[in-house]
Amino acid sequence: MAVRRNIRGLTDDQLNQLRAAFGAMQAIPDERGYHFFAGMHGLPLPSYCAHGSLLFLPWHRAYLYFFELYLQDIAANANVQNASDIGISWWDWTSNASHTNGLPPAYTAAQIEGTDNPLAIATVEWPIQLVQDVVQALPGTLTAQGRTLRDPDEPDELPRRSTIESILTLPTFTSFSTALENVHGDVHVWIGGTMTQVATAAYDPIFWPHHSMIDRLWHMWQLRHPGLTPPVSIMNIALSPFPMTVAQTFDIDPLGYDYAVQDIG
Amino acid sequence: MPTKNEMEVGRKEGILRADVRLDRAQTDEERFSRADLVFSGVDHSTISYEVRVFLNNPDADEGSSRTAEEGYAGRFVIFAHGGCFGGVGHCDIPAGPRAPHDLRLPHALTQQTKVVDITRALERVFANEPHQLRSITLIPISKGAEKGKRGLSTDLFQFDAVKLRTYAHATASELGLSVDYDLGP
Repeated sequence: MAVRRNIRGLTDDQLNQLRAAFGAMQAIPDERGYHFFAGMHGLPLPSYCAHGSLLFLPWHRAYLYFFELYLQDIAANANVQNASDIGISWWDWTSNASHTNGLPPAYTAAQIEGTDNPLAIATVEWPIQLVQDVVQALPGTLTAQGRTLRDPDEPDELPRRSTIESILTLPTFTSFSTALENVHGDVHVWIGGTMTQVATAAYDPIFWPHHSMIDRLWHMWQLRHPGLTPPVSIMNIALSPFPMTVAQTFDIDPLGYDYAVQDIG
Repeated sequence: MPTKNEMEVGRKEGILRADVRLDRAQTDEERFSRADLVFSGVDHSTISYEVRVFLNNPDADEGSSRTAEEGYAGRFVIFAHGGCFGGVGHCDIPAGPRAPHDLRLPHALTQQTKVVDITRALERVFANEPHQLRSITLIPISKGAEKGKRGLSTDLFQFDAVKLRTYAHATASELGLSVDYDLGP
């Protein structure tokens, strides 16, 4: 079972394993690889991500779920230790450490032992013309070479724990999803650079721990409000391109992952 | 409820202001446990941006601090698509309802509805003289990739209308038991 942990609480071995897994996945050129998954969110077309609707949380849960399965498979093939336990760590942007220092160090160190840190940067694998079009239309999202960028705001501008605690008390899935998606967007634009636009966001490796935090908060809300489900009207909607419906995202236990109980300030 | 075109230009181009008249609750039936500003038809097709809401501060601008003293009530963020990279017509939102047999999801650029919970801010307004909501000021701030180039936006924030919605009970939203206020003068 994959265990998703707080990124700041990983042991050195766990961090090395996560980093090795991401590095291996970024090297895969086909539909198992990082670039294929990142591309699902925005560019290159077609784009599948769900935003501004009640599908936001279910779609991104499915997205992370399938990404994580392939992450584990590729890590195993690359002989990364404990590959089947590797989970997408979450980034708690409400923590004191985040409000003091901003992004977690594991995701900011540019290089590790002389090579690019796969948790800090990625390079899109697009046709040159698409890179040029995006660089022109959305300056600051990518370098001219297609590498991801960030331009984070002040650390204390990140969402506050009190805001999240308030959101976790909301009594319906609709109100909770709407409020949490607003906070989610706030973090995207806080990070700046590649993460500010739907078209490019998922290429920045910080996308994944950010959305792990979002998914974790949904899980926490579910634990506090047992029995509350999304509206019946959406339960059978298919979450393209994944072989999954909204209803199948409701319970993470059958999906084979869980969140560690960690509160690291 | 005012459409975007019916709102006044605020202190600067890009800032929108609606002058309203809403008194605090006088009866139990008027009391609310939650108050939202509901923005309909919000565009999210180009550059990301946020919209800050101030109550009873018609002179608020992008430099106003986000504090209760300034009348700050909350904000929403648009995590936007980044423009169109498809072929001709790719980003055109189909007009009209879909046929009953059409199972396709709504177009990705279908305008969104955004909600800002202004409960605490509105309670403060009613608690202090003159116990009346008189203006709502909306300040759009671009949130493009480069932090140094962000600022007041004159064109990103496109929407159809805004209304104030109150709920007697928090779960009433699911039951449709809300009260919508016309924010006209």
